[in-house]
Amino acid sequence: MAIIIDEKSKVIVQGITGRNASLHTKFMLDYGTQVVGGVTPGKGGEEVHGVKVYDTVRACVNDHPDVTVSSVWVPPRFAKDAILEAIDAGVRTVIVITERIPVHDMLQIRRRADELGVLVIGGNTPGVISPGKCLVGMLPKVVFTAGNIGTVARSGAITYYIANSLTLSGFGESTSVGLGGDPILGSNFETVLRLFEEDQETDGIVLAGEIGGVYEELAAPFIREMKKPVVGYIAGVVAPQGKRLGHAGAIIEGEMGTADSKINVLREAGVSIAKTLSEIPELMRQRL
Amino acid sequence: MRLYEHEAKSIFRSLSISTPQSVLVGSLSELRKVTFPVVLKAQVLLGRRGKAGLIQGADSLDEALSILQDMIGKRFDGHEVKAVLVEEKVDVEKEYYCAATIDRIRHRPLLITSDQGGMEIEEISRVHPETVHKRHFEPGEKIEPYVGREMASRIELKGERLVEMGAVLTKIYTMLVEYDCKLVEINPLVITTDGRILALDAKVDLDEDAMYRHSELRRLGIEPRHEVGELNEREKIAKAAGVPYVELDGDIGTFPGGAGFGIAVLDLISHFGGKAANFMDSGGAPSQERLRLMIGLLMDNPNVKVVFGARFGGISRCDDWARAVVQYVTETRPSKPMIMRMVGNMEKEGWEIFDEARRVDPEPFKNIKIYRWDTPIEEVIKEAIRVARGM
Repeated sequence: MAIIIDEKSKVIVQGITGRNASLHTKFMLDYGTQVVGGVTPGKGGEEVHGVKVYDTVRACVNDHPDVTVSSVWVPPRFAKDAILEAIDAGVRTVIVITERIPVHDMLQIRRRADELGVLVIGGNTPGVISPGKCLVGMLPKVVFTAGNIGTVARSGAITYYIANSLTLSGFGESTSVGLGGDPILGSNFETVLRLFEEDQETDGIVLAGEIGGVYEELAAPFIREMKKPVVGYIAGVVAPQGKRLGHAGAIIEGEMGTADSKINVLREAGVSIAKTLSEIPELMRQRL
Repeated sequence: MRLYEHEAKSIFRSLSISTPQSVLVGSLSELRKVTFPVVLKAQVLLGRRGKAGLIQGADSLDEALSILQDMIGKRFDGHEVKAVLVEEKVDVEKEYYCAATIDRIRHRPLLITSDQGGMEIEEISRVHPETVHKRHFEPGEKIEPYVGREMASRIELKGERLVEMGAVLTKIYTMLVEYDCKLVEINPLVITTDGRILALDAKVDLDEDAMYRHSELRRLGIEPRHEVGELNEREKIAKAAGVPYVELDGDIGTFPGGAGFGIAVLDLISHFGGKAANFMDSGGAPSQERLRLMIGLLMDNPNVKVVFGARFGGISRCDDWARAVVQYVTETRPSKPMIMRMVGNMEKEGWEIFDEARRVDPEPFKNIKIYRWDTPIEEVIKEAIRVARGM
């Protein structure tokens, strides 16, 4: 089954003519993802790796009414417009690769998505992969193996290292979801955890967070209700306080944002906390 | 991006939120034409300035000059005082608290008021929770003036003052939304004995990711800048190039990939008993030029004994990374060892670039080890720690 995307997903790429989006469209196609169209305003009629480019999402969806997922790669100043365009055209899942989207834009995007029941993943997500079935985004396929572990992580590279670590230990993943590194995200951990809890192919879940924000803490009440085991990893235990480390999400803001707070709250909710990435598969083995 | 008090107040004044009469001085000779008594306020991004002696009253020019002398150019907690705001001392009848910010749990903007201004909001919430009033808004919602008046009536204002305070509260919320702020806080917001409503202090945190659409801030002299503290030479170079880079006190230079993993690397190095020399975000598909600059920063840091590097090719490609490393190594022939790992998108092309470079010119690569996907990252980090210890 997997969650969010699978072999039946029909995917469009917004901003397909950009350097990164174009390269990763090729990688997605190579992986077997059904990329049915791309959108770049003003470039309708062009082709990128054999994928037809449209001026608007609506035109694309008119030709491909079965589109289920859009991936958004446009520059941050156009992200709100692109995401709302996808939602308005009836796309039910929007995976936002774009990073550093203004906070107030994301609040408005969340509001619209919540009203219409649309799943928005990201921004600043590496994407989502259901190994062997479908890849949307820029995750490196080489380290992902199909299996029964669901992963959801804030950071892109940490998502990859977890997959690498699971694969080296003989595990694989049903789906790996990059929740996103921006300060305001389209989805909370809880949204993804609920999907994994109901997914028949997922037996255990890895949740990876980092300092800053409150998303890890907000997941705790639902984790308490979950039947499936959760192994956690939190980056930022020794990060210098008050310094901005890279993407905007990683700022320590109040007690709730610290690594200690996140680790304590998650542990109390029943999460086994790994101190290193290699410990993740060991702890999962104990919990399964 | 947090603003200095005087910057925040210049935005306030542009929105007709009143502040005390003031002059900003950067040197002793600039202190003229002020009417005493005044309050001198050091412009640094530190909280609790009053307790640190960074806010002081003066009744005469001599007193003011002597205080200025102790402030200007001095460092407090690593922050240099480059300017002092000299403000008229006002007679306060009552202090209020007000802030507009984002509730990150409910994902909505929020306006907060209390008639117990002057204390930190955490303290007000603890000691007088019944005085703290909150009003949430829908994202993107514009505020109507009556909402400000309602908030003003909840802090027990009446008559003309209710109307005026309502207008100020409305403007504060409008500023949050229209200037893309994460926080607009006035504490205290005061009513003076002569009946004026004035913002005595100002804490504003702008969303740096939205600065591109606020050219009006540039007109007020507010430019994007580094968040906090002082930068050393290498941090300045990094900043100018837009590379997130913060030096720490260890000896292992880190060139790790994206920010999240960059933070994890600091934990992993510490977990295995080593000390990182820096945080760096080398992700987000950097150009080769930027990648070479990043390696150079680490090599030029005298505390660095070994460079730990990793590329997990996602949007950042292994081939770009390999080309940058090869060019740096063949051109500068660094003496410091590099312990690295490479896996991910365009990996095959990356290995071909390394193999070819080593074949043509093996000498500078003697100190460089690059591991593949089947060596766990922890093993690579442990090796970097061993090398740093000279083992």
